[in-house]
Amino acid sequence: MEIAYSLPFAVLEIPNLKLKRPSWLHQPSAMVMYSLVLASYFLVCGGIIYDVIVEPPSIGSTVDEHGHSKPVAFMPYRVNGQYIMEGLASSFLFTIGGLGFVVLDQTHNPSTPRLNRILLISVGFVCILVSFFTCWVFMRMKLPGYLQ
Amino acid sequence: MSSTGVQYKKKGWLIQMSPEKQDTLLKMLILSMAAILSFSTRLFSVLRFESVIHEFDPYFNYRTTRFLAEEGFYSFHNWFDDRAWYPLGRIIGGTIYPGLMITSATIYRVLRFLNIPIDVRNVCVFLAPLFSSLTTIVTYLLTKELKDAGSGLVAAAMISIVPGYISRSVAGSYDNEGIAIFCMLLTYYLWIKAVKSGTIYWGALCAIAYFYMVSSWGGYVFLINLIPLHVIALMITGRFSHRIYIAYSTVYCLGTMLSMQISFVGFQPVQSSEHMAALGVFGLCQLHAFVDYVRSRLPKEHFEVLFKTVIFLTAGLSALVGGVLTVTGKISPWTGRFYSLLDPSYAKNNIPIIASVSEHQPTSWSSFYFDLQLLVFMFPVGLYFCFSKLTDANIFIILYGVTSIYFAGVMVRLMLVLAPVMCILAGIGVSSMMTTYAKQLDVSQQDRKTKRFESNFFMKSEVAWTFLTVMMALLVTYTFHCTWVTSEAYSSPSIVLSARSHDGSRIIFDDFREAYYWLRQNTPEDAKVMSWWDYGYQITAMANRTILVDNNTWNNTHISRVGQAMASSEEKAYEIMRELDVDYVLVIFGGLTGYSSDDINKFLWMVRIGGSTDRGRHIKEQDYYTPSGEFRIDREGSPILLNCLMYKMCYYRFGSVYTEAGKPPGYDRVRNAEIGNKDFELDVLEEAYTTEHWLVRIYKVKKLPNRGV
Repeated sequence: MEIAYSLPFAVLEIPNLKLKRPSWLHQPSAMVMYSLVLASYFLVCGGIIYDVIVEPPSIGSTVDEHGHSKPVAFMPYRVNGQYIMEGLASSFLFTIGGLGFVVLDQTHNPSTPRLNRILLISVGFVCILVSFFTCWVFMRMKLPGYLQ
Repeated sequence: MSSTGVQYKKKGWLIQMSPEKQDTLLKMLILSMAAILSFSTRLFSVLRFESVIHEFDPYFNYRTTRFLAEEGFYSFHNWFDDRAWYPLGRIIGGTIYPGLMITSATIYRVLRFLNIPIDVRNVCVFLAPLFSSLTTIVTYLLTKELKDAGSGLVAAAMISIVPGYISRSVAGSYDNEGIAIFCMLLTYYLWIKAVKSGTIYWGALCAIAYFYMVSSWGGYVFLINLIPLHVIALMITGRFSHRIYIAYSTVYCLGTMLSMQISFVGFQPVQSSEHMAALGVFGLCQLHAFVDYVRSRLPKEHFEVLFKTVIFLTAGLSALVGGVLTVTGKISPWTGRFYSLLDPSYAKNNIPIIASVSEHQPTSWSSFYFDLQLLVFMFPVGLYFCFSKLTDANIFIILYGVTSIYFAGVMVRLMLVLAPVMCILAGIGVSSMMTTYAKQLDVSQQDRKTKRFESNFFMKSEVAWTFLTVMMALLVTYTFHCTWVTSEAYSSPSIVLSARSHDGSRIIFDDFREAYYWLRQNTPEDAKVMSWWDYGYQITAMANRTILVDNNTWNNTHISRVGQAMASSEEKAYEIMRELDVDYVLVIFGGLTGYSSDDINKFLWMVRIGGSTDRGRHIKEQDYYTPSGEFRIDREGSPILLNCLMYKMCYYRFGSVYTEAGKPPGYDRVRNAEIGNKDFELDVLEEAYTTEHWLVRIYKVKKLPNRGV
């Protein structure tokens, strides 16, 4: 074994290097991975792949009866089409809604002060309710016949 | 008899049972309700119309199932179909996934044996709802392994009505996905059991479930890449143990050998790039286990030397061998369909047929919300609970969730693979949050005032009540949404259309079946029918005539030839039609009824595909647009478009028809324009049949004149 191991060194010369593994490189914690996953969830649910392939405009526009062009936020009557801004706005709401629940889960610790707990609970509830209701409104704006 | 002062209070039978029995009763009740619910919510179209097979692909599956039920397994396995892809034919036995057909045929035979005569068509129509009930139960079992029984019940209830799964498993949608989701979740459940127990028994069961999955759907490639990915993730996080080693080795060896029994899969597991990851991880497993064994035997310094040598040697050797095999072509590269998942722009730039299928388009936010509603909010919550308590099984579900979110974002059709994991994670999230809050409910009344001010908890019980009410309201809205979506969007048979007339009554458009049955009864047995590839399966199944191209789309050149015929002028098209021995041509036209998925709307795809091969060089998409770049069929339209075969076939005699009040004759209700080329005669075709609402038009190809002109 030693013969095979020393064979390359008959030809090559070992350089005088001192390589050390950098100390800041360590395995990321579970919560860091969770935030990365959440960021990719935000991007994918916003339809970023749709945006790259189909290249829709950021905001749509129609012409009203006087000839002025008005902006249109939601691509109407189609569930499988979107503009870039509406996609990002909706996936932001999805993520905030999920984070509202996570915030509520953090309020069970007995050692947090009272004021902090009240604030956390109210933030959690507001996140959940506002995002859920706003998404429902967005869907109604997109599909006029939604939930008839 | 006479009371001796003992008060005897009769307890109800429910409370007399021990807590375990109450627990089991509650679980069985909830699971059976979920299973019955999932079956019944898929029956909308059967109740509104009739028990009929929907769409296009299911007709092919139905025809093959009928063949299998009548002729037997060996003729089915060796079947060469000469009635499709004339003049090429198709080897059906070797190019399908037989699991679906074999399942239906087995159920049909078993019922016949028990003297319950249910027709093959009804077995096919109701197979998907039956398997959705079984999916509900498997989801419960899988989530129970991942977290606990409570999450399992919530996940089962959610998956019974989730629209993303219903869309492909409604009654009448007789397609591979109907049973594939059940097989996939069963394989995952058995894999988790194998990982947790580390026995060959569970590993072997997982391999058998994997075999069933391979036989049922081409999406098995997802499984055979997800399971090795899970093993790698466990290695990286330092959780590799003898249990994983035993589980993966058993599953890979048995699973690969079983999967090669399917003719369509053949030798792909050892030759194609899609399966190489599994092989690589198998080798890595062996090395890892061997290294662990040697490390426990050798002293430290000797081990370091040996370890480094082996690593460099193996890495170099495998890179060399892999490179040589890929370059010489022994290992085939990723096929188009799967490669477009990794590089979404590949299909758009290179393969127009894959890009044209509407299910292959990328997903927008509204598709996510429409198919999942509450689940998109609970997905991060479930992930949070999985990340806060990492176990071997949780890492699997996290990987499954992340990969399927990405794939569902690339292709709308894969929302189906995302729906189960959304339900599982949402079930975990909902159940964990509600359990924590339910514990904080103060049901007893004593000492509330004093207790409240002692700790720094703010209105613990009220907050808990509010949260539980909000959660229950959200779940109720989920139910309403799912039922509305199922009823309005996913329950249309597509072969029968219905609309409301202005006085409120319903009109049924049964034109497709009318046309196919006309073909069946009024044309010779060996007539060849040319149509666009969308309708191929339906024509062979219902009209029983030979066709040129169908939905299998395996031969792009042949489809391109048909596209050239449709896009050329009558004389040029006649040459192509005589070359291919065409007797009848069939087109779908929606201008009279307002049906927007007709052939004129698909025409640009015919032009693109027709112009994409050698012989179609003369067909350029630009010729069919107006000088300003619009696709118009009225007077301003391009003259090449106004004289091509497809235009003439769709609008023959349409110029004298009044379609709408206040509009001129020949007004196309889909394109909202009056057609440009009205009174023309056909030279090489004659009209054979037009259905009641002009949806399907059939033309007969005239024979060559007897004397040269």
